Amino acid sequence: MAKALHHRSPLVRVILGLLALAFTASLLTALGSASARAESPADLAARVQTATTPSAAPSGSASAESIGIWVRKLSDKSNVAGVKITITGPGGFSQVVTTDAKGLQTIGLPAAGTYKVLVDVSSIPAGDGKPLGLNPRQVQVDTDNQGVPAYFLLSTTAGGGSGGGTTPTPGSTGSSTSGSSSSSGGTSFADVVFPRVATGLIFGLLIALASIGVSLIYGTTGLNNFAHGELVTFGSLTGYVMAGILHVPGPIAIVSAFVLGGVFGWVQDLGLWKPLRRRGVALIPLMIVSIGLSLALRYIFQFIFGPDLLVTPSDSSSFLTLGPVHLRSTDVSSPIICIVVLLAVAYVLLRTRIGKATRAVADNRSLAAASGINVERVIRIVWIGGGALAGLSGALIGYYQPVSWQTGASILLLIFASVTLGGLGTAFGALVGSVVIGLLVDLSTIFIPSNMKLVAALLVMIVILLFRPQGILGRRDRIG
Amino acid sequence: MDFNFIPLAFGQLLEPQTIGYALAALGLTVHFGFTGLLNFGQAGFMAVGGYFFAITTVKFGWPLWAALLACIVGAVIFALILGIPTLRLRADYLSIVTIAAAEIIRYTVKTPDISPLTGGSDGINGSSDGFYALDPLPDISYGFGVLRYTNDGLWIRIVGWLVVILAALLVRQLMRSPWGRIVKGIREDEDAVRSLGKNVTWYKMQSLILGGIMGAIATVIVIIPTSLQPDNYGTQTTFFLYTIILLGGATTVLGPIVGSIIFWVVLQLTDGILTLLVTNHLLPITSIQQGPIRFILVGIALMLLVIFRPQGIFGNKREAHFSA
Repeated sequence: MAKALHHRSPLVRVILGLLALAFTASLLTALGSASARAESPADLAARVQTATTPSAAPSGSASAESIGIWVRKLSDKSNVAGVKITITGPGGFSQVVTTDAKGLQTIGLPAAGTYKVLVDVSSIPAGDGKPLGLNPRQVQVDTDNQGVPAYFLLSTTAGGGSGGGTTPTPGSTGSSTSGSSSSSGGTSFADVVFPRVATGLIFGLLIALASIGVSLIYGTTGLNNFAHGELVTFGSLTGYVMAGILHVPGPIAIVSAFVLGGVFGWVQDLGLWKPLRRRGVALIPLMIVSIGLSLALRYIFQFIFGPDLLVTPSDSSSFLTLGPVHLRSTDVSSPIICIVVLLAVAYVLLRTRIGKATRAVADNRSLAAASGINVERVIRIVWIGGGALAGLSGALIGYYQPVSWQTGASILLLIFASVTLGGLGTAFGALVGSVVIGLLVDLSTIFIPSNMKLVAALLVMIVILLFRPQGILGRRDRIG
Repeated sequence: MDFNFIPLAFGQLLEPQTIGYALAALGLTVHFGFTGLLNFGQAGFMAVGGYFFAITTVKFGWPLWAALLACIVGAVIFALILGIPTLRLRADYLSIVTIAAAEIIRYTVKTPDISPLTGGSDGINGSSDGFYALDPLPDISYGFGVLRYTNDGLWIRIVGWLVVILAALLVRQLMRSPWGRIVKGIREDEDAVRSLGKNVTWYKMQSLILGGIMGAIATVIVIIPTSLQPDNYGTQTTFFLYTIILLGGATTVLGPIVGSIIFWVVLQLTDGILTLLVTNHLLPITSIQQGPIRFILVGIALMLLVIFRPQGIFGNKREAHFSA
């Protein structure tokens, strides 16, 4: 097999790889341009998300920050017009707006800060019910945040809060009414912590899928793959194209992101990394190549999909309520998928021949090769698996938050932090590290501004390197 | 058709951006080319230098010399914070920590809570007064054709290039000194240098500090005629710098400087040609799609350079340690 591959020069193989890349890109362009014509709920939501022109700017000046309000009925997702909404905020800011025919309204704000958004229950058309979740609701608007979502779903069957006009719905029962406990602004500690634990766990499991790929690729080839974030973005965008543009059902979109992600990983290995390994390129240049690849791919994605946020259509209503925690159906299914897949990965790594071979190569490549393991085959499978897991992670992230061309790039450092925390090159370390990082990122927002949450994760990584550079599950001799 | 972009592209030779990137790339060459440190956070050094300079000048009203000193001190502190945990570990740990630290700086300065000090996402304007006060040039317009500069504009360009030349001479002399031989030795074989009784970690730290200071001062040159924008110091800035030093030759003194000139002239030329083609409807893309193309080109150029010509234009293949 090795002989057959020597026939073609590395140059030819690299060019072939780039051609394959260009082909994939042009294929995606065709799909991307189709999106311009399709008018789907996702497009609508995306427009709400990125609304830049406040329709009712205070004191006539165009302001940078705005809140986007959307009122819909839970039962059939129809938009509710004519609902009065009061927004109050710092500096005595107070404004009353009414939702338009699509149930939408954008409010320009004078400055960043925390705003209170109150739905006037008496203005809701009869029979449409009451808003679910917190009402009034605190909305954190950071500098330059536009169209910060404040979406309300109305339901007639929301238990509990059907008494008086201003009685809070279940989400806040016991907090604002009794004013019993300690912390900030009449919200109890549990109300603050538990939703964050839930989102943190979900997010941790999502990055765990991607981290395992990084860790295995590092373990088997020694390459710190800075282009792994783009594998995640590839999955997100595949999911978006499938579910948002081609309107295939969610599960099929997720599976196709998984499969195409694997194909993408395989193509990358075949077209780029394998020829480079054959050339005997050292690890540091390989890392720089991965950076170049990351930069090129990221902007190819932007070229095709544009700079805006893309929303994968999903059911955003509350599916499961556990005390203060409201979960959408995707918030329940995503972690289940993650856990099942992670268990499957663990089974493959621990119980199957190829899994044992992978761990052997990660442990000592030369020894593994000497004992008859086909190292190239193992690396190829690791690339396919890593790409597939990253694609799956990306598609599920699409159901967790809006995605864009830089979704993967923005979580790449969290992935690295997880992998370093758990121990570079160990698959299970990556899993543990991811969950810790996911929790840390979301829980840190209790104490620090929300746009600093990534900083907390990165700082923890640096501190870990100071005191236990091999990570939680790593081995001392790897760090040399 | 408007062909003004051609002289404008060659005018990049004198742009503060080119000068600043040349200096920052020179600093990165000290790290990566000469010492073998995989610093992926040079943008962080640039941001730290820029913020220390701009905050002390604009918010505290310090004189120029004090602000420059603050900028250097900032870079030294940043180097110590990065170096202490990572320099004793393998190269890839330094790469991850530096890229993370650079992002930490960028996220932190954008935090609304401290925006009275850092200007948040808007950055800081007007750190130029102290520098322009020293301008001895008569207040007339200089240059020719489409390339015209005010006296202040020419002043920063002259001083900028002088700083780059001085820094290049300094690096050249350092690399010929015993100190330079030791850091190059660290690049080739760390254990061999250690066996000679040298404190390898400390030499790496010195190299990190030296290159970091160059990155910090580079930002001062860039922000004096423009303004300090946090998002200009994201990861892509570091990747641009890597492309620049690999273009010119990562183990040479002249490489990063010529690399920076070529990089910006070529980038500006391609931008100009693309604009020409797009506005005349010769290319089936929109002007929004035109923006990412330069980054795609840089990414591909970076890959091709590393794979096919790791020693760059001026480099010596034997010395390009990472060519395997």
